[in-house]
Amino acid sequence: MSSRNLASIALLALVALATGFVLAGQVKAQLLTPSNQLARYQALVRSVQELEGTNADSRRQIASLRGQIDSLESQAAAQSAATQALKNEVADLRAHAGLVAMRGPGVEVTLRNGVPGPDSGSQTGYLVNFEDVQDVVNLLFAQGAEGIAVNGRRLTPLSEFSGSAGEVVIDQGPPFTSPIKVVAVGDRNRMQAALDDPSALPGVRARQVQFQVHLTFLGNPDLSLPAYDSSLQIPHVSPT
Amino acid sequence: MSARPEAARRRSIRVRGISVWLIALLVALVATIQIRSQAEVERSLVGADATSLAFLIDDLHRANDSLAVEKSDLGNQRAKLESGQTGAADQVLTDEASRLRAIEGLTPVHGPGVVIVIDASGLTALDLQDALNNLAAGGAEAVDVNDRRVIMGVPVYQTNGGVTIDSAIVMPPWTISVIGDANRLGVVADLMTQQLRADRRVRAATYRVEADVAIRSVLTEKPFVYAVAS
Repeated sequence: MSSRNLASIALLALVALATGFVLAGQVKAQLLTPSNQLARYQALVRSVQELEGTNADSRRQIASLRGQIDSLESQAAAQSAATQALKNEVADLRAHAGLVAMRGPGVEVTLRNGVPGPDSGSQTGYLVNFEDVQDVVNLLFAQGAEGIAVNGRRLTPLSEFSGSAGEVVIDQGPPFTSPIKVVAVGDRNRMQAALDDPSALPGVRARQVQFQVHLTFLGNPDLSLPAYDSSLQIPHVSPT
Repeated sequence: MSARPEAARRRSIRVRGISVWLIALLVALVATIQIRSQAEVERSLVGADATSLAFLIDDLHRANDSLAVEKSDLGNQRAKLESGQTGAADQVLTDEASRLRAIEGLTPVHGPGVVIVIDASGLTALDLQDALNNLAAGGAEAVDVNDRRVIMGVPVYQTNGGVTIDSAIVMPPWTISVIGDANRLGVVADLMTQQLRADRRVRAATYRVEADVAIRSVLTEKPFVYAVAS
């Protein structure tokens, strides 16, 4: 048998072996994740994606409706001083409620997942959670923030935080994951000093050491905040 | 005589070469499927489990329902403004001002809800913040703790003297008055008080659902110094 023949046979054997390994791996993977389980999972993922699509569409429509209402109110206000006074009052209230886009000096805070410890097991301390974001937001509001947005989602007086490990849900979702960017407009110097204070945000700082959770911030003379684009309903509340 | 075997040998080599290429192609195809399938499986297992997805779907349904109500409400406001009726704009603006003042905690409010009383020693700001988060998730629309109005942005802090809300210490027992959907809030309050009663620091944790909870505490509006509308 010539050396070329031998080489061909060896090559064929090698390729057949590789095929065998890959096929075995494929069969094993399918045994681990039965196809119907994966299909069910994919159906759930599709549902989430569809609902998130509806969510985004609704937000766009709400933003557009608020814009149209504002224009109509302005037209009416142009014809009456009393209406103009009311319009001004509402504009101020809307700004405080987060319904108006705003800009000004402030800080940008970034929170990013750390790394799991070698013996952390199922601990999720390395993940940024909603309490971390809430702590940062509370600190900034306490130190002169006049408006805050988290990953482009403007906070309102009724905003709520929830979520599970690594997921942060604000108001009507959908959830955010790391990195989380908190943008605050307000007293930039006070906010920066508070973020610099090593005694502030003890929970996050402890996990910076343990899991290298990232907390960075940067002052900026001109930051922009979007208007809130979701529901702000209080159907059960009546003024006294 | 020697040309035929030579041709057959060449053909055999060519066929073998083609076979090798075909098998290599098959390997590449199977390997691609394998890698993609594993990536899919990994993504599914690392991202979120089916239970988490089911909860997420539930949350998104509720969120979308809430957004639909907002759209409908805004649509009605727009229709009223477009009607051009005398005083329509003033009415819309007056209603909006009243609603926003309630949302921002600038006026006393009332409505159905729950009143939770927690008597404990050693509870921290974290405990209060947890309670407030749970109530917010349960649909709280206005909240008061020991005659202190609480909205997003009102700081709840731990100090040496105890828990503070907007820099004022709130001594136990804490009376948390909440306005919102009384049924949903009742469920949340029930779970909360059950958990609190299992806590050694808690002497008593009770709640009552009321048809009309009154919240009289108000906040003072702080004018913007740095922010401008854009």
